[in-house]
Amino acid sequence: MKKRYHTLENFIYDAIVYLVMIFVVICCLVPFMYMLAASLSSPKALVSSTVLLWPKELTFDAYIRIFNYPNFFRAYGNTFIYAFGGTAIALIMTCLMAYPLSKDFLWGGKILTKMVVFTMFFGGGMIPNYLLINSLHMVGTRWGILIPFCINSFNLIIMLNFFRGIPHELEEVALIDGLGWFGILRRIVLPLSTPVLATIGLYYAVFFWNDWFYSLLYLKGDQYPVMMFLRNIVNGTMELGGASGGAEKTTMSLSIKGAVIVTSTLPIILVYPFLQRFFVKGLTLGGIKG
Amino acid sequence: MKKEKKPALTPEERSRKVRKAVIYFRRYWVLYAMLVLPVIYYIIFKYIPMVGNVLAFRRYRPGKGAFGTEWTLRYFQRFLKDPMFWRALRNTIVLSVMSLAVNFPIPIIFAILVNELRGTIFKKFVQTISYMPRFISTVVVIAILNELLSPSSGLLNKLLGVFGVAPIYFMNEPQWFRPVYILSEAWQFTGWTAIIYLAAITGINQELYEAAEIDGASRGQQMWYITLPSILPTIMIMLIMNIGHILSLGFEKVLLMYTPANSGISDILDTLVYRTGLANQNYSYATAIGLFSGLVGLLLVTIANTTSKKLTGESIY
Amino acid sequence: MKKSLLKVPAIALAVSMVLGLAACGGGGGSTTSTTAAPSTTAAATTQAAAAETQAPAETEAQAEPAGDPIHISMFYADNPTLPWMDSWLAVQEVQKVCNVELEVEALPSGSDFNTKCSLVLNTGENCPDVILYRDTSSAEYSSLAMNGAIVPISDYADWTPEFNARVQEFGLQDAVDAKKLLDGKRYYMPRLYDKPFYDGGLIMRQDYLEEKGFDDPKTFDDLYEILKAYKEDYPDSYPLTTLVAPYVTYRMTMPSWGIRFGKSNAGGGGALSWDYDKQEWFPAAISDQARDFLGYFHKLYAEGLLDPEMAATIPDDVWSGKLADGRAMATYAYYDQIGGVEAASDIEGFKLQMYPPLEGPAGAHHQQKASVDVGIMFPASTAKRDDFEQVVRAIDKMFFSEECATIWCIGVEGVTYTMDGDKIVYNDDILNAPEGIYKYMQLEYGCGADPTQHIWINEREMTKYDENYAEINAKVAAMDDAIQEIPPAPIFDDFTAEDAATITTPLADAIEVWIDAFVTGTKSLDTDWDAYVAELKNLQIEELCQMYNDNMVK
Repeated sequence: MKKRYHTLENFIYDAIVYLVMIFVVICCLVPFMYMLAASLSSPKALVSSTVLLWPKELTFDAYIRIFNYPNFFRAYGNTFIYAFGGTAIALIMTCLMAYPLSKDFLWGGKILTKMVVFTMFFGGGMIPNYLLINSLHMVGTRWGILIPFCINSFNLIIMLNFFRGIPHELEEVALIDGLGWFGILRRIVLPLSTPVLATIGLYYAVFFWNDWFYSLLYLKGDQYPVMMFLRNIVNGTMELGGASGGAEKTTMSLSIKGAVIVTSTLPIILVYPFLQRFFVKGLTLGGIKG
Repeated sequence: MKKEKKPALTPEERSRKVRKAVIYFRRYWVLYAMLVLPVIYYIIFKYIPMVGNVLAFRRYRPGKGAFGTEWTLRYFQRFLKDPMFWRALRNTIVLSVMSLAVNFPIPIIFAILVNELRGTIFKKFVQTISYMPRFISTVVVIAILNELLSPSSGLLNKLLGVFGVAPIYFMNEPQWFRPVYILSEAWQFTGWTAIIYLAAITGINQELYEAAEIDGASRGQQMWYITLPSILPTIMIMLIMNIGHILSLGFEKVLLMYTPANSGISDILDTLVYRTGLANQNYSYATAIGLFSGLVGLLLVTIANTTSKKLTGESIY
Repeated sequence: MKKSLLKVPAIALAVSMVLGLAACGGGGGSTTSTTAAPSTTAAATTQAAAAETQAPAETEAQAEPAGDPIHISMFYADNPTLPWMDSWLAVQEVQKVCNVELEVEALPSGSDFNTKCSLVLNTGENCPDVILYRDTSSAEYSSLAMNGAIVPISDYADWTPEFNARVQEFGLQDAVDAKKLLDGKRYYMPRLYDKPFYDGGLIMRQDYLEEKGFDDPKTFDDLYEILKAYKEDYPDSYPLTTLVAPYVTYRMTMPSWGIRFGKSNAGGGGALSWDYDKQEWFPAAISDQARDFLGYFHKLYAEGLLDPEMAATIPDDVWSGKLADGRAMATYAYYDQIGGVEAASDIEGFKLQMYPPLEGPAGAHHQQKASVDVGIMFPASTAKRDDFEQVVRAIDKMFFSEECATIWCIGVEGVTYTMDGDKIVYNDDILNAPEGIYKYMQLEYGCGADPTQHIWINEREMTKYDENYAEINAKVAAMDDAIQEIPPAPIFDDFTAEDAATITTPLADAIEVWIDAFVTGTKSLDTDWDAYVAELKNLQIEELCQMYNDNMVK
């Protein structure tokens, strides 16, 4: 690898790439630093001076307040259940469908793929979906969030597309060796697809982690995820007490908002670095063949 | 799921076909078995609720059943006659196409550049940081934008002030609405979308690079002749799907950026539906517009798919 | 390793899908169970007949055996500043007093709460027994009500003696009756106020006024002079800033011009206003009063007296910051926000004060207030409960009886307060709370929470605030009709409601754009006014007005 530095051209090339990347890092980091700084600053400092990247009048009050909210930790636990369970179910279901459909020779495969694409543009709307899920007795149970979203057509097509790219020769060899289709999927296709599994898995995990709308519709009180909590605080406006006249005002201070955002997004952000080992380069077909 | 074959065949032909089918299914039945659960899922959770689309042609009265009370075309007539609808449609298309032109290539370029990074730790760092903005909720993104772009205290205007530029009220002046929207999208989703391309790049056979290096190809050439063609299938799939969703931008962000002054160009289909339909719980009207965008989306995706198939050989189906 | 890892979820999945499918089969059969509805409507009508002869005082049916508590499930609009707690003293105590066991589902207030309520009522599935914090003023809810999704609680008046008694006491019979729908029935039990509150309004730097020798402002001209003086002293400032968005300022000031239109207004679709003398709607947005009003704010804007950054939402923190460091000195906002701003300011002698409404061409008025507003709703499914009568009676007692209303407001005697003759004396922990009595009682005891407190007595509320606030309220109460009653709403059938909505949305949009243009001066009130009027007429403002006036309930 090191021989790449031999030319000046390569050096300049690298320099440019690095500069661009540093710019990107700054752009992406600043807002987060800002939320973090805000969450650790006193409300007074936030009002009277501009907190930007570094907390002023350091305090953990905002975090203490959040942790003292009733049900915060239960909501957090629920989110973990949905993110893990939902992703596991979704990955399996998506693989089960994507793999057969990636075979061009499969009778009916094209029609099925078209029918999948069709669902990306037409849905049923809130009320029919609710009636359906209610008639399946899933409303008010955790299945109400785990099952209805276990295949996302977009993710399915991405995965299907990746499976298509896997060389057929490998499968043919395996078939001759007497490995069934399930065996091929598990022993050959999936190991070759770790990057896309990691990607799709992450996409599902983030969907389940971030969802509040369907949880609101299909779940009940003690099953709500932490994102509903986040929304309540970040979007929170209130109608003011006393005689109402439709008065509304935002009331949560930036420090609380920042703290909620930090606590409720940190775990899912930290997932990515762990998935990165699946993005290891150097798959060589020769190696697998031999 | 498979349809039965057509009749009018001679007995020999039929028995030959049957025998062929038996061989075929004996060989591939496992693949069909895999499809059983997912297909049931699609029928139950995606196709059955589609019955709800009849609402577009039915008068919905709250409390009188989920599928409306009588047939009517008034909702279609209403939006086709409505000048606000056409304005919103135009705004949606312009914003969407501009956004696609900018935000489609950026993640690809970003993924390729990340792949060019040598140091593993820095590479991981860049990836992780770049996907973080995805997790900041829209409300907060807009709050940050308001702060950053404020004419009196915003960082950007202070910076411009150094160069003698008078403060600009970015969040209110109509001509700035689209740039602010598109660039903030880029900021929020580049790292996130790039993950797909990174996964595609990871799958490239390393022997190709080694061979190219032996042939004396520069890194720019390797990128152009190996990396890019190798991820072209992914690029095309993403493009086709993005084109299909040109009419659905989502209302939340635009609604938060909406001010009276920029409403002339910031009002898009989704915000129109939100304000006239969902905010008043007018389900029929919202369904009618939803059906319209669905049809347009399906048409666009079909065109894009066929074109791509002809030009690059890549297609969704 | 990897293989076995994959196996576990695969099996789990298979099992769960089988279960799901089994459930699916069961679901098909059970959908018929919803056909029990007609019989209850019949029951409801006979009840209605019985209710004709109201006898509120007599409660002979209330033998109340202290047996098992009645279980009542409830939707509650939860507020992030005041998260619901089952352990609140008020909640516990009221359950004990009424022998009720509550199951509360706290939903984020605002759009999430609306979505869920709307969903369960529209589908009639999984409804709670009771929904708090709702009314039937929107087209959707009036339609839901008249199509049988909500219990017409006015038919059960003899089960709600406490509510009836409070309505009589406060003299609110007319206001409550105004909540009836086309069919002459009322579908919820509203919260009741004896006297309107002046909880927000013009807030200014008292220290600046005193320093410069200004008297308290009485008219909008006085306000102009003060703002101008401040601008001269601090040329970089924009003396009048706005909370959240300009409509908050507009709706608090417009009534002094005899109008109220634009975003977030009660009634009139954002275009019309109620003429209190003639008792009818008029197209306020194109009236001369509107022109005059916009002229005043344009003057402020043109002279740099009004915050130009108001178009995009101004968050609380930014708003506080502007006042705290002197970039602004006046605002329209709420009294309980003053403390936070004062605490954040480093300016010596910094002091904010709230002032009574200023006098404009139509007298001195503040944003209108309702003496009867949102309240308790019973979904139709509750009426199918065998113990429906007990549920209604329990709810009535829980929220409207003297005893329970007091608990919701100030807690339990001996625990949160003691009586010194007629005077309420709060406990020391409450009196010394840094966040103030009102806020502390909310957070600590659940007293004074918006969705649960249904009886608001001005005098009793004032004991929770400082004397200054009580004084201002007394001043405003002494003024001539400073806070008018919210105008009565027309009642549309659902077709008319749809037509009205079709006109309202583009009209309200256009008005928003023009208000902004007139105030900021991109359009001139002199040369562009006629074009504006023509545009709104073209958008059928007059037809809308006609529609409103034609559908007023006499």
